[in-house]
Amino acid sequence: MNILICIKQVPDMESKFKINAEKNWYDRTDLAWRMNEYDEYAVEQAVRLKEQVGAADLTVLCIGPDQVKETMKKALAMGCDRGVHIADNDAHKREPLEIASMIAGFAKDKNFDIVFTGMQSQDRGSAQVGVMIAELLAIPAVTTIVDFAFDNGAIHVKRELEGGGRALVKATTPVVLTCQLGLNTPRYPTLPNIMKAKKKELLTLAVPDMGGIGACQETAAFYFPERKGSGLVLEGELPDMAEKLIHLLKEKTGVLA
Amino acid sequence: MKTLLVAEFREGKLRVKYSQLIAFAKELQTTTSMFLVGSPSELPQFNGTLYLADVAKYGEYNPTVHKQLLLDVIAKEQPDRIVFHHSSYGWDLAPRIAVALKAAQISEVVAIEDGVPVVPVCNAKLRRKIKSKTAQTILTLQAGAFGMEEDPIGTPTVVPIDTDVTGKVDCSGYEAAKLEGVDLTKSEIIVSAGRGVGKPENIAMVQALAKALGGEYGASRPVVDAGWVDHNRQVGTTGRTVTPKLYVACGISGAIQHLAGMKKSEFIVAINTDKDAPIGEVADVFVVADLKQFLPVLTEKLLAR
Amino acid sequence: MEFTREIYWNVGHGFTTLAPMYGLLLVAVAIFVLGCLKRIKVYRLGQPLERTDQLGKRIKNLLDNVCLQTKVFRVPGAGTAHALFFWSFFILFIGTTLIVAQADFTDLLFGVKFLKGTFYKLFSVILDLAGLLSIAMLSGLLVRRYLIRPEGLLTKCDDALMHGLLFAILITGFLIEGARIAVTEMDKPLLAAWSPVGLVVANILSGLGEAGLRTLHTGLWWFHLLLALVFIAVIPFTKFRHILTTSANSFLADLGPTGKLTTVNLEDETTERFGASELTDLRWKDIFDADACTLCKRCQDRCPAFATGKPLSPMLLVNQIGETAFNNPKANLIDTIGREAIWACTTCRACQDICPASIEHVDKIINLRRNLVLMEGEFPGEEVMTAMEQAEVNGNPLGMGYASRGDWAETLGIKSLAEDSDVDVLYFVGCYASFDKRNIAVAKSFITLCQAAGVKVGILGKEEKCCGEPMRKMGNEYLYQTLAMETIETIKGYGVKKIVTTCPHCFNTLAKDYQDFDFAIEVEPHPVFLDRLISDGKLQIKTDTFSCTYHDSCYLGRHNDLYDAPRNLIRAAGGQLTEMAKTRDQAFCCSAGGGRIMAEESIGERINIKRVQMAAATGAGQLLSNCPFCLTMFEDGVKGADVEAQLRPKDIAEILAERL
Repeated sequence: MNILICIKQVPDMESKFKINAEKNWYDRTDLAWRMNEYDEYAVEQAVRLKEQVGAADLTVLCIGPDQVKETMKKALAMGCDRGVHIADNDAHKREPLEIASMIAGFAKDKNFDIVFTGMQSQDRGSAQVGVMIAELLAIPAVTTIVDFAFDNGAIHVKRELEGGGRALVKATTPVVLTCQLGLNTPRYPTLPNIMKAKKKELLTLAVPDMGGIGACQETAAFYFPERKGSGLVLEGELPDMAEKLIHLLKEKTGVLA
Repeated sequence: MKTLLVAEFREGKLRVKYSQLIAFAKELQTTTSMFLVGSPSELPQFNGTLYLADVAKYGEYNPTVHKQLLLDVIAKEQPDRIVFHHSSYGWDLAPRIAVALKAAQISEVVAIEDGVPVVPVCNAKLRRKIKSKTAQTILTLQAGAFGMEEDPIGTPTVVPIDTDVTGKVDCSGYEAAKLEGVDLTKSEIIVSAGRGVGKPENIAMVQALAKALGGEYGASRPVVDAGWVDHNRQVGTTGRTVTPKLYVACGISGAIQHLAGMKKSEFIVAINTDKDAPIGEVADVFVVADLKQFLPVLTEKLLAR
Repeated sequence: MEFTREIYWNVGHGFTTLAPMYGLLLVAVAIFVLGCLKRIKVYRLGQPLERTDQLGKRIKNLLDNVCLQTKVFRVPGAGTAHALFFWSFFILFIGTTLIVAQADFTDLLFGVKFLKGTFYKLFSVILDLAGLLSIAMLSGLLVRRYLIRPEGLLTKCDDALMHGLLFAILITGFLIEGARIAVTEMDKPLLAAWSPVGLVVANILSGLGEAGLRTLHTGLWWFHLLLALVFIAVIPFTKFRHILTTSANSFLADLGPTGKLTTVNLEDETTERFGASELTDLRWKDIFDADACTLCKRCQDRCPAFATGKPLSPMLLVNQIGETAFNNPKANLIDTIGREAIWACTTCRACQDICPASIEHVDKIINLRRNLVLMEGEFPGEEVMTAMEQAEVNGNPLGMGYASRGDWAETLGIKSLAEDSDVDVLYFVGCYASFDKRNIAVAKSFITLCQAAGVKVGILGKEEKCCGEPMRKMGNEYLYQTLAMETIETIKGYGVKKIVTTCPHCFNTLAKDYQDFDFAIEVEPHPVFLDRLISDGKLQIKTDTFSCTYHDSCYLGRHNDLYDAPRNLIRAAGGQLTEMAKTRDQAFCCSAGGGRIMAEESIGERINIKRVQMAAATGAGQLLSNCPFCLTMFEDGVKGADVEAQLRPKDIAEILAERL
């Protein structure tokens, strides 16, 4: 089986964000970087699938500046066989359709049986790229999977629905699957695998032909939201805050007699 | 300006939140039509054209089929905007339309300011205003971001639609969520545990506070995923959407999915050590404290009253 | 009158005695040697390890521990009994050797006798008293083992054999002497007086008549010889082997800085196995340690995990390795010992510190953890894996954004080294004091003290990363080395000359573990630093009386023998210190060491609550400590133990800062 896993390097969400000079994205300094959490589940599921079928080749793909290779190494250490880095220092400026076009441009002649990716990224969170890759490659896509099983060429997944229920979906290859949190428990790379990863192939490619897709959106503003509500902040000694809070609850809500 | 709203129907029921789509359209003050793969016996209440494909013929959600039906309607209606819910249906179907039309898609809109959609980024810590440069624009709306005061009323003009297209993805059924026990949507007071509780032992202090207030306890997704609290107590897009009189978020940062599930609560108290946590945007009172230290103090005072 | 006796009296001097005697001796020695060789073969299944450096120190340790029984004495009662038994039995052994030396060599070959006169008198009385003391002590040990039955003491057939054999040897010895004296010395009271015990036995036996006594004497003499030879022969096959193995272990002990772990060479790309899961992964010393163990249970008695219901017994762990080595060498060690036991250790070193056999318990556990983490990617719980990942992404296990690491110091008027690297001392803050609200208060107190003393202190701020200690102790050697090398590069880059820490874990790591990476910058823990500032007169503290008890953290206490400096500070501050029963080297761990600060404690009683209860029992108003992990555990513990109102946990730095 030939499998592609698309990952993204995103800032750790605990970081303190700042607006960049162009005021259209966050400033990239003073941020800690990591693999997009949703993509971790994608990588893990691909590795598990390989462990199940044996004959599978896992390619992990990531778009961005040179630093994304660090994150790719983690994917290789988890069990991917090779990496493809699409070098693009402007990756953060691209829109979902452009990103999807780059990936489709790379994947179109490679006959991937399954493309795993996270259902959205933690920073932009548009939840579009996965499905768009499928549309551009003219293959099916199933989104938001929280369960995966492969049985003799048939793929059985469960999609997570609002309210917690799940839809049972069957598909065959080729297919794009976008992964939701909780699909599995991503493994911690073992040291022998970390060392092997250093030797695995990691190609850097230029941005491929995007088939004429250009920017079709622009960021008009980028800012920190204002606090809604009365936004009263209580700080200080615990007993004082507790008293004040009880007082507010009595005053402003009907919950305390 | 014409807007086409995409409503949802699943497991034999019309998803009532279509009212949010209508509210959104109202805010934009455009003429609206609606698309639905649903049942003629359960029509959405609004005055306008409803392009209806019978779910009896097409079965459960098949992306290829829905995409074709929708594209056909778009070709006919020529809307400027196509609006979906940002839901497991919406984020699955919308990008397909975006690719087909080579149109811009703006996901998870939370507001419109001066006619420009606003979306959250980076776990809702930041906001972005996005202008589309294409003639047609696709939008998905965050659950609960738009709403109507009253229930929608009206009778649509139904235009049946059809297609012969078939798809390779087969939805073979549904698994119900395990929702025995408590129904948080009925609770007036909810105290929720977030990642900040740190350890399962600390859930007890959240429960104690809930009890002292006379309410129920809930949790954010990470706490449920870790197995510390039952799924039926999860608040958020994939859990329950609640609107209690009082919502106390303990150690919850305020990821979008959680906010979407509780931000319509009447009075929101956040307890968190991080002053900048996004939960602060919706909180009426923000207590800067470690919940592990503050909750026992608060609970004791409440019980002493 | 001649003060001497006839050696080989009644038994016979000639060939008929010597030939079988030496013949049997040869057999006994052969069995002994074969037994030893068999065991050595098993030790050699382990990996090589050099323990012959610093010969002088090693020999001194050997003499101290064997001759002076220094470590054995650390626990009085059974320890004293053993020491006395050992000395007296050793005296008997010397006595026998002297007899052999004269009878079979100096007298036989050269006609020289020295067992006469004053020498003989002393010889005789010393041996008699030694024999009596031996029997008395052995009886005491017997009573302890079989009647009192202290909890946790394992008794096996081995022990019965040893008691039996030793009693038999001692008692037959006195019977033989008694029989001889009854026949030869009853008319020489001045001579017999020098064998007081023998004389008592002789009086008891005298009713037998000379013929009977002679027969008894001959029989018992040969029986006694046989017992002694059996004793020699069974040494390698029973716990008697500890005479050699435990003694050898004093010589072979780990002399390295206390608590410093072995650095694994991760550059070597041919290494395919990390940590230990099979017997052959261990060092030969780890197998040998099991043979040096006498199951005295002193380690088990002090293990905080064992005391609170975790399945970890340091003694059992060491012996499971031995059992595997000798009975089932292919067994998987991790399955044999059990994951819960392996993860339960807090590396407090109470076991290793008290062990009279110089056994290295902690290294084995770390090695097993290394296998679990590095080869299997396994952790005690998901929360630990998450903490490790946070450390990789943000340089701290708490998951806080690294860029705000120096924010706690914003209003204090100190600069990061990036802004101003000309400082007297670098304060290496550590993850908890940088991000945890309670511990930030300690860091602030420390800065206040430095400023009051006129010390120019700088911090690394957002350039500081975790020192890597909790990760290393959990077995993640790779992550530790990554963090260590980055930290070292940053610090060296600023040409830092001196570092102070308020965290004993950071202190130990920077001062000891980092030596393997060519890091030799002076590091001091804050109690030492502050103590010197006060005694140098640079820091003035008001004496403001308060009642307190003090918890010796494992990583300053047992790991560094640092007990006095903090107490000086407490005194200077006016503290009325009521010591807990388990204090100094006997202090009971707070539970957060060994990387367990990152983990949840889900088995048995909570260790931190147990320690807090010990503190509360002193009636003191404050529980002072010197470690951010201890402080965190105690803040948690006073709530759990419901003593929050009467016992306030504080760091020493806070007490001093309050008294400026």
